[in-house]
Amino acid sequence: MLLRNIKAIIAMAFFNIFGLISCQLLAAPDAVAGKTKSQTCFACHGADGIGVAPNIPNIAAQPPLSLFYQLVQFREGMRKGGGMETFSKNLSDDDIRDIAAYFSALPPPAPKMGDPVKVAVGQKITQQNYCNSCHAPQLQGQKQVPRLAGQSTEYAATQLRNIRSGARVDMDGTMGSAARGLSDEDIEALAAYAASLN
Amino acid sequence: MKLKTIQSLMFATGMALATLAGAQAPAPAPAAASAVPPTWAQGRTADGMNPALVPNPSPLVAKPVNELLIDKLKVPPGFKIELWASGMPNARSMTESPNGTIFVGTRFAGNVYAVVTKDGNREVKTIAKGLHRPNGVAFTNGSLYVAELSRIIRYDNIEQNLDNPPAPVVVFDALPKDEPHGWKYLKLSPDGQYLYFQIGTPANIIVPPSTHATIMRLNLKTNIMETVATGVRNTVGMDFQPGTKELWFTNMGRDWAGEDLPNDTLNRLVRTKGMNFGYPHCHQGDWLDPEFGKGRSCEEFDKPVMNLGAHVSPLGLRFYTGNQFPAAYKGNIFIAEYGSWNRSKKVGYQVVRVILDAKNKPVKLEPFVTGWLQGEEYWGRPADVQVIKDGSLLISDGEAGAIYRVSYGK
Repeated sequence: MLLRNIKAIIAMAFFNIFGLISCQLLAAPDAVAGKTKSQTCFACHGADGIGVAPNIPNIAAQPPLSLFYQLVQFREGMRKGGGMETFSKNLSDDDIRDIAAYFSALPPPAPKMGDPVKVAVGQKITQQNYCNSCHAPQLQGQKQVPRLAGQSTEYAATQLRNIRSGARVDMDGTMGSAARGLSDEDIEALAAYAASLN
Repeated sequence: MKLKTIQSLMFATGMALATLAGAQAPAPAPAAASAVPPTWAQGRTADGMNPALVPNPSPLVAKPVNELLIDKLKVPPGFKIELWASGMPNARSMTESPNGTIFVGTRFAGNVYAVVTKDGNREVKTIAKGLHRPNGVAFTNGSLYVAELSRIIRYDNIEQNLDNPPAPVVVFDALPKDEPHGWKYLKLSPDGQYLYFQIGTPANIIVPPSTHATIMRLNLKTNIMETVATGVRNTVGMDFQPGTKELWFTNMGRDWAGEDLPNDTLNRLVRTKGMNFGYPHCHQGDWLDPEFGKGRSCEEFDKPVMNLGAHVSPLGLRFYTGNQFPAAYKGNIFIAEYGSWNRSKKVGYQVVRVILDAKNKPVKLEPFVTGWLQGEEYWGRPADVQVIKDGSLLISDGEAGAIYRVSYGK
């Protein structure tokens, strides 16, 4: 067990070192430029990355790669919704990296404690469905996997229903399979639990 | 005839079941009451929940040329590797037309590309967009066949119309719609009569419907599909051996069973009926599945001809049929290893060479091109290989959206 931890630490150290090197080699995403390029986004997602209405996602503190992938999917017509296809149409890969750098560096949304019964059920379903194995221990997201912590309950529930029905793109089949067995009540509970996290 | 009818009935039933499973969206909530993990998570142990092993992101964009670290790629002495084409998001499976056009399929980008060389200039054309996982490509009689997730389509007279491709003809669309392992590799048989492709298992480790974990072939004259092999978890690389005309294929081992078990494998199809390669009961020919192997024996099944290593993710393979490389390379197999995700220390991310002995038995496995993996970070992922007419070897990179060319001498 200890050995495993040490291995993990070494692996992380390697990851960080090489991550830094490759960041320096490649064109680094620029959060300052990203803010300028994000002006159009603010009307709905806020300059603080917090959606101005319950059906608009909070994108503050999302992992940069997850924002990058969602915007590319909108641009390429693989995902649709909220007019995002139009907003992303003329963005280059570098534009998207900069925008992702800006929003990912913002403070995460404040947790919202909803119905405690729902939150407890949601936590249990999260464990039983191994959501943490990709979305990370506090559902804060990692790499291409989005942050769910602090997400708007309405938005999160809509997306899970869309993934379940196939209306939202499912890249490798994992989320489709994960959502297939969920009832509407399960989805509400999961959304309540995610919103309660920081 | 009767047997065939029964088989196709069984196939139809299996498909109906699989489709039902896929379509039954709002099933009653098992989650809160049941401890059975969802399909995608089956076969995982508690430490398989380690969030450090999240699957690698699905590449959707091509890397700009200045981010392709070509000088990091290592080839054996006397060989040279160069960038051959770029700007093709998620470039994967390749096929060459008799005129030398390289057609390239993708898994995530939904595009199909054609790379043409005219007056010494190479040009990449996107000939199809918005397809659903168009991973498989094959070319015959002036037509390009493309395997999407659940159907096979055909572009006639494609080379005369690369700038304005015709609408595709649907060749066969009665295939399962499962996303997991649903993308297809496509290979034309040497007699031009059949298209071979796989139907992968729709999860990591389950007892699949009889339609899945198979290699199938479609008769291009009669449009009849038949099963040629079962117990194949997922093969995303096939080639016919010159001379024997046998189908050799790679097969992906299951996940979450350990860092070094089970091996991904190289396999040989010596007959087109009745071979079973063991999934989900036996892996790598000699290792019973901890769960699905209970009460079974590996002796029930056909065995791979070579273990390639666990989690290396072998995709495309080709026999070396060219005249450019040294004589020792003739008849060797090149395999593109896309690289691991389900392992704490990464492996694969290279092209390997397999040497066969006089009895046609693979006896040696060695790296041929390395360097896409730097430390624990990868910048590219080899997806397929293709020996082209001049005898050089093309390597597609599904991560960087590029194709490299390996040549010898000159």
